[in-house]
Amino acid sequence: MISKDELEYLAQISKINLSEDEAKKFPQQLDKTIKYIDILEELASDDSNVLDLQEMKFDELRDDVVRMSGALRITKNLTEDGFLRGPKMK
Amino acid sequence: MSGLHNLLAHEVVEGIKEGLFTAEEYVSTVIKTIEDVESKLNSFITLDTERALSSAKLIDRKIKENEDIGYLGGVAVGIKDNISTKDIRTTCASKMLEDYVPSYDATVIRNLKQNGAIILGKLNLDEFGMGSTTEYSRYHPTHNPWNLDYVPGGSSGGCGAAVAAGECTVSLGSDTGGSIRCPASFCSVVGLKPTYGRVSRYGLISYANSLEQIGPICRSVKDIVLIMNIISGKDNSDNTSMSSSQITINNKLDKFDIAIVKELINGGDHGVTGTIYSTSDKFKEIGCTCDEISIKNLHYALPSYYTLASAEASSNLARYDNIRYGFHLPIEEYKWDTYFSNVRKNFGEEVKRRILIGSYVLSSGYYSKYYLKARSLRSLLKLELLKLFKKYDLLIGPTMPILPFKFGEKIDDPIKMYLVDINTVIANLAGIPAISLPVGFSNGLPIGLQMMAAPFEEQKLIDVSYALEKTINIQRRPSLT
Repeated sequence: MISKDELEYLAQISKINLSEDEAKKFPQQLDKTIKYIDILEELASDDSNVLDLQEMKFDELRDDVVRMSGALRITKNLTEDGFLRGPKMK
Repeated sequence: MSGLHNLLAHEVVEGIKEGLFTAEEYVSTVIKTIEDVESKLNSFITLDTERALSSAKLIDRKIKENEDIGYLGGVAVGIKDNISTKDIRTTCASKMLEDYVPSYDATVIRNLKQNGAIILGKLNLDEFGMGSTTEYSRYHPTHNPWNLDYVPGGSSGGCGAAVAAGECTVSLGSDTGGSIRCPASFCSVVGLKPTYGRVSRYGLISYANSLEQIGPICRSVKDIVLIMNIISGKDNSDNTSMSSSQITINNKLDKFDIAIVKELINGGDHGVTGTIYSTSDKFKEIGCTCDEISIKNLHYALPSYYTLASAEASSNLARYDNIRYGFHLPIEEYKWDTYFSNVRKNFGEEVKRRILIGSYVLSSGYYSKYYLKARSLRSLLKLELLKLFKKYDLLIGPTMPILPFKFGEKIDDPIKMYLVDINTVIANLAGIPAISLPVGFSNGLPIGLQMMAAPFEEQKLIDVSYALEKTINIQRRPSLT
């Protein structure tokens, strides 16, 4: 079973505060999922047979042209002088 | 004029062009249908009916002035709410994006509009596409039009229900592990997940980039072809997109070699299995061969899918910090880290579970145990499938091994819910095209046949689907009055 400390660590690196209810039921649920994917250990394979699945060619890059996206309209925390306000670092 | 909401997309365009009815009359009928049934179904998150009516009037003006109205001139389209639509709220069914109004159209939306399509509104889904029932939507669940006590499938459940019920004529969904095909099967409509790269993902709000594709959900194979030819193609804004040849409706069917995949059909619901076997007999009637085969590594597919999808989700969803857009939470009282952790409480439970699992499988010590193994399986599976496609044109099985189920049946057990996707994730892992075609009913609930083909062989899926559609001719319209 995923321990309380492990869950707290996962929540911390994922930057998610969990509610009391979630902290109570998630260990069991996540544990079931992890047990389910544990079957992958049996798979006889290693990194060497990981293919480039999409066979993508990145040698033809498009020109890097700046296009106005109008994205500023969606920034609700934009100040009048064009800065984006965020919470204090410390 | 009544009944116009029952028309297929190509019939709508022909009717408007021939002057049998106006675009305004047709769109008004569709809106009237929404007013009549939406309180039962809850297919939409956001409706944009006023703008839709103005667009219809514009189409009618073009007709009067003998201007071209495009291949989709006047057709009312519903869009899954994780595809960006300029000036129409796009929530991903999440509270994290409840006020997000995109400032640009996804490439697929731009293509639809350029061809005269009318966007009616945004359709419900499981939050960020994570789920198979729409029960994980943070707004409301959508109901199955064939039986309102049952789920419509997911994650594009709003698309399946709205198209089946005539609330829109066609819709665009997205498919990461079966999200187009599952609701198509549960709602008795046609859904196509294209080959990875055939359709631009620019403007699709990412959940798992290496698996997902945008695709159509329609009431006929002909409409699937119509939409696919409009949304496919190379797009400079999506480096994974590729050019491909157009697909067509062929009235003459080549002799195809088809194989039922044992692992997809074994252990399924009795009604589903019986219907798929009787459909396989129809293949012989239309001149195809039908064998039964086995795929070696298939039991690793679903755990691999959930490993990869969760890993990609944990990375993709890291961007939601509520600073640039999101819900109202003043920043003044918080410090940097605590603010993010607090706002991200607002994700729903399933999204949180997947982010946590993603963080787990990517963390040191577990990366090679899970993530690399899942990637290896993906390669092995694709190689095995490509080998099989040298011998067989199509691999088939039930889209969903079970019938639609009642609300709440699986919601408390994530694994039970994940198992619903067992037949569909294969196509996403391998990047191959797959279609779900309605082939029957059991206890009044729809059954879909899934067919998979080699990469960029959508034409084969269409040829067989079109021939079968004509042979089977099943009921397509639920009674909701």
